[in-house]
Amino acid sequence: MEVFLQVLVNGLMLGGLFAIIGIGLTLIFGIVKVINFAHGEFLMVGMYAAFLLTTALDVHPYTTAIAVIPLLFVFGMLTQRFLIQPLMNARDDHIQIFVTVGLSTALINLALLVFGAEFATTPPSGLRTALEIGPVRVLVGQLVVFGAATLLVVGLTLYLNNTQFGRAIRAVAQNRAAARLMGINVNWVYIVTFGLGAACVGLAASLIAPLYPTSQTIGTYFVLIAFVVVVLGGMGSITGAFLGAMVIGLIDSFSAYYIGSDLREVAVFTVFLLILILRPQGLFGGRQTLSHVS
Amino acid sequence: MTDQTLTPVQSPPSIRLRGLVALVTVLAAMLLLPVAIGDEFIYHIFITMCIFAALSTAWNIVGGYAGQLSLGHAIFYGIGSYVGVMLVGMGISPWIGMFAGAALAALVAVAISYPCFRLHGPFFTLATIAFLEVFRVLALHFRDVTGGATGMMIPLNIGWEWMVFRERLPSLIIAFGMLLVILAIAWWIRTNRLGFQLIATRERESAAKAAGINTVRVKLYAVAISAALSAMVGTFHAMYLTFIEPASAFSLPFSIQIAMFALIGGIGTVFGPLLGAVLLVPITEFARGALGGEAIGLHGFVYGVVLVLVALFMPNGVMGLVSRFFDRTKAEAPGQAGAIAKLPAQPEPDDIPGPPKAVPEPGDEIVRVVGLDKHFGGLHVTNNVSFKLREGEILGLIGPNGAGKTTVFNMISGFLKPDGGEVSVRAADGGWRSPVTPADYAAIGVGRTFQIVQPFAAMTVEENIMVGAFHRHHSTDDARHAARQTAERMGLARYLDAEANSLTIGGLKRLEVARVMAMEPRVLLLDEVMAGINHADVLRAIDLMLSIRDTGVSIIAIEHVMQAVMALSDHVIVLNSGRIIAEGKPNEVVRDPDVIEAYLGKEFTHDA
Amino acid sequence: MMLEVRHVDAGYGATTILNDVSLTVDEGEVVTIVGANGAGKTTTLRTISSLIKPTSGSVLFDGEDISRKGADEIVEMGITMIPEGRQLFPDMTVRENLMMGAFKKSARAHQADTLEEVLDLFPRVHERLDQNANSLSGGEQQMVAIARGLMARPRLLMFDEPSLGLAPIIVTQVFEVIDKIVATGATVLIVEQNVFHTLKAADRGYVLENGAIVMADKADALLDNEHVRKAYLGI
Repeated sequence: MEVFLQVLVNGLMLGGLFAIIGIGLTLIFGIVKVINFAHGEFLMVGMYAAFLLTTALDVHPYTTAIAVIPLLFVFGMLTQRFLIQPLMNARDDHIQIFVTVGLSTALINLALLVFGAEFATTPPSGLRTALEIGPVRVLVGQLVVFGAATLLVVGLTLYLNNTQFGRAIRAVAQNRAAARLMGINVNWVYIVTFGLGAACVGLAASLIAPLYPTSQTIGTYFVLIAFVVVVLGGMGSITGAFLGAMVIGLIDSFSAYYIGSDLREVAVFTVFLLILILRPQGLFGGRQTLSHVS
Repeated sequence: MTDQTLTPVQSPPSIRLRGLVALVTVLAAMLLLPVAIGDEFIYHIFITMCIFAALSTAWNIVGGYAGQLSLGHAIFYGIGSYVGVMLVGMGISPWIGMFAGAALAALVAVAISYPCFRLHGPFFTLATIAFLEVFRVLALHFRDVTGGATGMMIPLNIGWEWMVFRERLPSLIIAFGMLLVILAIAWWIRTNRLGFQLIATRERESAAKAAGINTVRVKLYAVAISAALSAMVGTFHAMYLTFIEPASAFSLPFSIQIAMFALIGGIGTVFGPLLGAVLLVPITEFARGALGGEAIGLHGFVYGVVLVLVALFMPNGVMGLVSRFFDRTKAEAPGQAGAIAKLPAQPEPDDIPGPPKAVPEPGDEIVRVVGLDKHFGGLHVTNNVSFKLREGEILGLIGPNGAGKTTVFNMISGFLKPDGGEVSVRAADGGWRSPVTPADYAAIGVGRTFQIVQPFAAMTVEENIMVGAFHRHHSTDDARHAARQTAERMGLARYLDAEANSLTIGGLKRLEVARVMAMEPRVLLLDEVMAGINHADVLRAIDLMLSIRDTGVSIIAIEHVMQAVMALSDHVIVLNSGRIIAEGKPNEVVRDPDVIEAYLGKEFTHDA
Repeated sequence: MMLEVRHVDAGYGATTILNDVSLTVDEGEVVTIVGANGAGKTTTLRTISSLIKPTSGSVLFDGEDISRKGADEIVEMGITMIPEGRQLFPDMTVRENLMMGAFKKSARAHQADTLEEVLDLFPRVHERLDQNANSLSGGEQQMVAIARGLMARPRLLMFDEPSLGLAPIIVTQVFEVIDKIVATGATVLIVEQNVFHTLKAADRGYVLENGAIVMADKADALLDNEHVRKAYLGI
């Protein structure tokens, strides 16, 4: 029973981690209608930045968020402006896929060039200390990630529904042509949205860096899971992504324990493929999603 | 309007000849250059080039023709490698092993693609990446079979039988031979029925279905062929490398590279992938050789940047540039003025039809619709809709927006499954059938158009109509001939060579009808072919529909243009909120108080 | 002169659609553009809205060249287009749709007042305020689209095919609403297939053929014109 509880809590904590990465991805997909195949590499860039800042300035890794979030925000905006925007009207989406795949390939190899193949370990600053809550143990850092993911979901939902710019973002997602006729600067909305999505990853990077060693492939690992999360939650649904992350976290944790840790990816991807095929609109995706694609 | 003469439209022979010369030169150089230089490293580069060109050409059958962007093609390559190596371990020659690998890869491809083809664009890409990941993890997990992370060595049996050689030349010959075979297959597909059907499916899946294409089946053909060819190359490559491991056999970067050569050369073109590989492989291999260990990651970085730049600035690849160059020379050639896409907007006086000709007496029933029901969520879109269509009859279907007219069309063409009720169609042999899928309906002779025109944008007018003609004809020549005849009849003969996109809305509506007519339907479903076209075109369209009917085709037409409904219909059905509220002769129906109330409005009564 | 289109060439990509098009709309005028499908009517409106940029020539609003401005700036200056095919925000309520209509800065401040005025004109829309836009019928959606356009308090209102794809009875209702708007003294530029009705409502009209203006006259004169009657009215 205690083992079961521990595996359950591990799963939820892992879910928090997946959620905080997936939210930005689903935001970008829901509004800009582009799947950012370089999303994981955004996380990698953020984590390297957090690592460099933490070690160079000798500060708490969380403090680096002050710099990493704006950095990623700007990086996201530039990506949209110079890589995605010129292709927004491309006749088929292949080209958009190639651009973000190319960006991903370039960033991974750039990291390899700069940092080499070794891991970069950000000082944990006490965040890998375990807390005993009743029969289960969780890391301080994991709890923070979980809390931050929850706050991010609530905050973004409020922002999109209750502010003028938030409504403009939704309007663009629902009908780009009409939004333009309302006087909304559609390209700017896309740029800001991409920036916001990347900024979410920036926050994630600062929170995750002290928990996981950074390498050039860390993005590939996390982003594939983040895609699963986003598809499960219904592309473009922010609360959906959160719930999806929990489900995947649990599957990952339980399959690692009960099936074998080298096959947990197979379990996760099997679920992913089943969902994609049986319910492409996602488990939780319904009318409330931002996008109208599926 | 059928006075336009039929002009054969093909590239002038000089241009085709130039293309052929260029192709032969490139291919000959790929074989002869390394032989002439005789350097080991050069041989290696050219063999790699052939392998990548072959893989990329095979990928292009799915990624380009069928438009399904797979980034998991290493699955099939990997299957080919592993099967080949394992069979060699059992003493079976890779020449046999490669066919075993191909068969397995084709099976796997069909099994994983069948469900995934329901996904579009990036979702399909994601699913292929996920499958690749699963294969890699499984190959690592089942150590006993695959050797796990340590990989497998092939036994060093030298000789043609084992595809392993001391010299490089035989390997080059095999790689080159494989490339030639794959190129020939890709070329054959592109110029024949399957290629047309694949591209039509890629461009507009619903329109392709309406043209009688079993879109899932043709895509499965494509993926099976592509996977089998990739696996064969995989077997050979494993013999060439003499060693395989999961990380390189089922690698995402490798899959991306395969797709990348196609993008750079020109996705969807026959020789683009070849060109992409020829241009890029030497550069990167030299860079890898020269920089090697000093700059780990550099060549990957360069690949990434090239990919981004090509996507941004050269989305049609090198072939795009080449064909733009050819187009320019073509436009300068005398007598080859660019196609003028504007259709004449003004009616010629004699174009306006006189009073309708004597209406032939409608014949036997050909379509029976009984009690069609459809719900969308809580909305009852069609409620117990029943009607009959007789042979040679024009049935007008009118009603306010949202009355369920298009829903009825979708149910009597297989695009939507009714919740209740039945549709039966009398086949040419006289028996009654109940078709289910759009392909069934097309096969029995029911053709339809779409309210929003759905041209195959990347095709010319002629090719668009050919897609319809392929429903009846198997050979390209027959289909082309039939398409030209249809085009002439529909007044599109002058625009055969124009891109479908360049037509005006009136022209596109006519193209939509032409594509269906090329299928030689017995029942024609026309969804608002008159909406948004001007008065003169309405008159022509009426004339055209009457002439189609006179050839014995039965027509059901959804229309808002009352003038057309009145002039054309033998019988009119009025649909409101999913129910039939009135039916009868056009003159009776427009006087029906319910119809005036629900649809026509008071104003119409003065006009009529 | 409120709006002046001067010698404009425009099109999409390599295809030129408009060829030396010039037209004017004065304050308080109702002007219509008549033409066959594909003649370039919608392209003209899209050029004025700056959704596409002219390849040569200029568009002047209050004497200022606006042809290089962004679409959002054009709306801000007081030109609103009610697009063909309704184009609502499907997953927003009718109220939210109308609020988006008043997105531009100058309209946002008067949002509440404007909403009241607009709803007076559209009692049916009033009843549906809290429904999702995609649950409305086609006719209702067209009304919301017009109401949303008015929310911007435009100085020049452009209609693109307001009756397209609507049942005859709904068309009548749409024209009643347009007549009401015209009666308030609004400046209107309208493109419509239903040539007879529009010419009756308009002060002046232009005839556009193959991307060029071939005729410009008072609306009643065009109604009597032999060519117009034959080509566009079918009389």
